[in-house]
Amino acid sequence: MPVILEIVTPDSIAFSEEVEHVVVPTVNGKIDLLPKHIPIIDRVIAGDIKIKWNGEEKILAIGSGFVESYGNKVSIIVDQAVDVSNEDELAIEEATNRAKIALEEGKKSNLDQSQIDLLEAAARFEMAKKIARKKSR
Amino acid sequence: MPNTRDIRIRIKGVKNTRQITRAMQMVATSKMKKAQDSARSGRPYAMLLADIIGTIADEFEEVTQSYFIERPVKHRGILVVSTDKGLCGGLNGNLFRELSKIDNSAKFVSIGKRASQYLSRTRRDLLADFSIPDKPTFADIRNIVEFMLRSYDEGRIDTIEVVYTSFINTLRQEPELIRLFPLNDLDSMVEKLHSRFQSDSSPYPKDNREILIENKDVVLAELASLYLKQEIFQLILESQASEHSARMVAMKSATDNAGSLIDDLTLQYNRARQAAITQEILEISAASFSQ
Repeated sequence: MPVILEIVTPDSIAFSEEVEHVVVPTVNGKIDLLPKHIPIIDRVIAGDIKIKWNGEEKILAIGSGFVESYGNKVSIIVDQAVDVSNEDELAIEEATNRAKIALEEGKKSNLDQSQIDLLEAAARFEMAKKIARKKSR
Repeated sequence: MPNTRDIRIRIKGVKNTRQITRAMQMVATSKMKKAQDSARSGRPYAMLLADIIGTIADEFEEVTQSYFIERPVKHRGILVVSTDKGLCGGLNGNLFRELSKIDNSAKFVSIGKRASQYLSRTRRDLLADFSIPDKPTFADIRNIVEFMLRSYDEGRIDTIEVVYTSFINTLRQEPELIRLFPLNDLDSMVEKLHSRFQSDSSPYPKDNREILIENKDVVLAELASLYLKQEIFQLILESQASEHSARMVAMKSATDNAGSLIDDLTLQYNRARQAAITQEILEISAASFSQ
């Protein structure tokens, strides 16, 4: 029995298919959601989602959000999601560095806490992309 | 009777105006399409979020989180989503008529220059004034949401409500007031969301099994603030779709009016010209007769 997986961002439905299982990074560590998992709601942190189906493996980089698993349906609601296999490694590397520099400068110049949070989220998402890219090779 | 030269100058002026309004109509049309698309693409996210909140709220016998409890309302907190620019028909006027129904104890936060102008003119209590770019992203509205939440937490306002222009279709936009916080009636909230998006998909069926949630209070508070953020984002997108379609319609009728004005003026011009020619012939023939 497959898991119905849905990954939704404010811009679009990033992923919607039946899969075998999915590994999601949460504040309480990575959880592997298989069919008939007990109902759970948890906070998702920026990182990589591993999806397996038909012997294939797909890795997506995601931002923070929530995951809900109920019955055979897994809904993941995050602020962003990217399929890194389409992205250039160098571009990701550069983006990561840029995000880090922006974060450092933001901290130095006494930006608003909310602004720093924003930069931090961006940096973390870039890192997630990098990690996901490495894993998907 | 005005002379032909005056009429010619006027025709030229009206033609120029028509060219401008036509250009504005084209711009509004393309912006409207984009705004409609982005307003539509946010809907699955909103639905899913509402479903998750609905599920989690069922888990609680008594929610103690302040976002979910109604408290005595001293000051309503109202976010007004208006436009920066005018020339969009009765859009802002209708919005302000909605505002005039609200009594003076309410406090306001405005988006768009028109709203802040109106609110200060009518001497309302304006807490803050934000501006947003033409194509807002989720990150752009973060400040607004945080400001609203902080005011709510500090007790400066006791509700969070939004007055915006709901997009019904290209020809119809109506001002609407939606109450977002406190979330004291979750079932009707989820229902309303479904009806607003005219979605026929029912939420995933749930039995009464217990759900594993760690740190329920934290998760709940975060979900609530995410819900607020998402809703405000969605309403802003919808307001922008309304703005652009209202502008498109207004500019189309302006272009049409300019066209009919040009027709009238051209008729007048031809008449005046013909009258002048007839006059001349009369004068010439009268002169030749008298000889």
